[in-house]
Amino acid sequence: MSNATLLSGAALSKSYGSLQVVRNVSLSIKAGEFVCLVGKSGCGKTTLLSLLSGLETPTSGKVMLDDKNITDATEDELAVFRREHVGFVFQSFNLIPTLSAWENTALPLFPVKMPADERKLRATRLLEKMELGHRLEHLPSALSGGEKQRVAIARALINKPKIIFADEPTGNLDSTTGEAIMKLLYTLHTEDGVAILMVTHEAELSKTADRLIRMHDGEVME
Amino acid sequence: MNWHYLRNELYHQRRRTLISVIGLSIGIALLVILNALSLAYREAAHQPLKEIGADVTVQRAGDVPRDLSGVVFPCSAVTIRDEEVKKISSLPGVRGTGKAILLWVFDPKRAWIVLGIEEKNSIGPAILRSSVTEGRFFEGGKPEAIVEAAYARRFNIKIGDSLSVANRTFPVVGYLDASRSAKIAIANIYIPLAEAQSLAHSSGRVQSVSPFNQGDVNLLFISADQEKIVEMASSIKKIMGAKTTVATPESFLKLLGSLFALSDKFTLAASLIAIIIAVLIAFKTMAGNIAERVREIGVLKAVGWTNRNVVTQLFAESVIQCFLAGILGLAIAGVAAYCLSFMKVSIPIPWEMSPTPHFLPGGGDQIFKVLRLPVHIPWDLAVFAVLLSVIIGGMTGALLGRQISKIKPSEVLRHE
Repeated sequence: MSNATLLSGAALSKSYGSLQVVRNVSLSIKAGEFVCLVGKSGCGKTTLLSLLSGLETPTSGKVMLDDKNITDATEDELAVFRREHVGFVFQSFNLIPTLSAWENTALPLFPVKMPADERKLRATRLLEKMELGHRLEHLPSALSGGEKQRVAIARALINKPKIIFADEPTGNLDSTTGEAIMKLLYTLHTEDGVAILMVTHEAELSKTADRLIRMHDGEVME
Repeated sequence: MNWHYLRNELYHQRRRTLISVIGLSIGIALLVILNALSLAYREAAHQPLKEIGADVTVQRAGDVPRDLSGVVFPCSAVTIRDEEVKKISSLPGVRGTGKAILLWVFDPKRAWIVLGIEEKNSIGPAILRSSVTEGRFFEGGKPEAIVEAAYARRFNIKIGDSLSVANRTFPVVGYLDASRSAKIAIANIYIPLAEAQSLAHSSGRVQSVSPFNQGDVNLLFISADQEKIVEMASSIKKIMGAKTTVATPESFLKLLGSLFALSDKFTLAASLIAIIIAVLIAFKTMAGNIAERVREIGVLKAVGWTNRNVVTQLFAESVIQCFLAGILGLAIAGVAAYCLSFMKVSIPIPWEMSPTPHFLPGGGDQIFKVLRLPVHIPWDLAVFAVLLSVIIGGMTGALLGRQISKIKPSEVLRHE
């Protein structure tokens, strides 16, 4: 882990009508840091993650990633930014049901002009790393929950991002599979130096993190 | 646009794809078959004259002969003067003309329907040269007769016999089978045109009803440009007067009486309805399909697909589905056209076009030209249908794609 700041949010607020979900939050994440964002359901964790990852634009404040201000970017610029700089892991995997494991993994590369063989090779290598080399051609419906999440993690890594945003990545898994996924994320963090911002409401999972950020009623209580 | 994704989406969501494809294909099939039927009726309307190489026949109605004896003109076909023929020949759209003279000859022992025909012409009854079943056709303008085969059998007329018609002798040189020919070209005896003109010219009864010069005729056959027939028919009536009967494919269409035959507007309206149905079906099923994929679109956008990437992908899916629908629609229409081609249509031939004295056998009967409806799908209609289908797909895909691509990924991914 280096001391350089990879991601920072300054005075971030987000309101939906009169409802203020995130209130004046400022935080920063260093390159290669594993940060856990914990708090009760509805406290604004997912919204803050969306603001920091460029899925959502803040009502006020700004987000800097790799010294780039993404707050004022257009929707398409944000899409390209997400494709090139970040990876996502969702609670319910969000795999495309009609695509095989390798195709789901390569999904962020589909709009990128590159040889099809290279696309498949990159996806295959990542899936082999996730111990899913034997499941390349399987559809999500033929995979277990743990396997689906590992495909989702492989998809998050396909563009070699500096940071992965994980929103309750073990929320839909049994405890054993959840532990395995957490171990995998930790390995990525320690061996590959990928920064991780993980949202969870389970305090137990946050033990593996370098740092814990608590949220309550849209505010950060670090 | 990604082919892997497109192919997998269409293949793995077979039910969804099939519903879209079948729905639109029914609309396309309806459009194709309606137009094919309309074309078939139009083609059928050409048949009564097609066998004699003509598109239009011209006759002039006159008075009924006071006394049915000797050589007379049927009241539906009196003199068309030579100068009128020349004027008509020079009208725009006239490709060529053929001439004939139809006579009723009442001899003391027998009544004949006699047709005077040209020796060589690809338009008009001269085309019967190819219908000679035995003997030969006319040669060198000699006074000869060819007898209709069935008539010859009935009255035991042999080749080499001499027929006495209106006190003139015509050696029989052949038989011809006119049963498959246009009704207007059916007679008992065929003689050279010049001989028929001479018979008409020397007949006092013809001259008393309708003055006739040696070069005149009473039947005119025209090969014409299809697009100019209506305009040409109107000009002919102006040249020849109100009592003129101009038989055209359009006039046979009216006699057919079918909705398809009666009106281009009906076909156009029905086609428009079919297109609208096709568009609505395509739009509804594809809108439903895309609505089911909102979350998927959200994922695509979250992992870095731009709006343009999403629209292009949905556009391509929609175009391919609609292309398949167009092909399936054509196949359905092809099967329907094949089945419909067994349907027979009876085109009524007005008595005026095949006048037979009422006291002769069959003289008062309504004559029909019976034929199988020539239903087929022309290439241009097939290409148009597939293109239309693809255009519908493109527009639907682009429209729905644009709409759905506006969703924010955070909105659809938030509620897990």
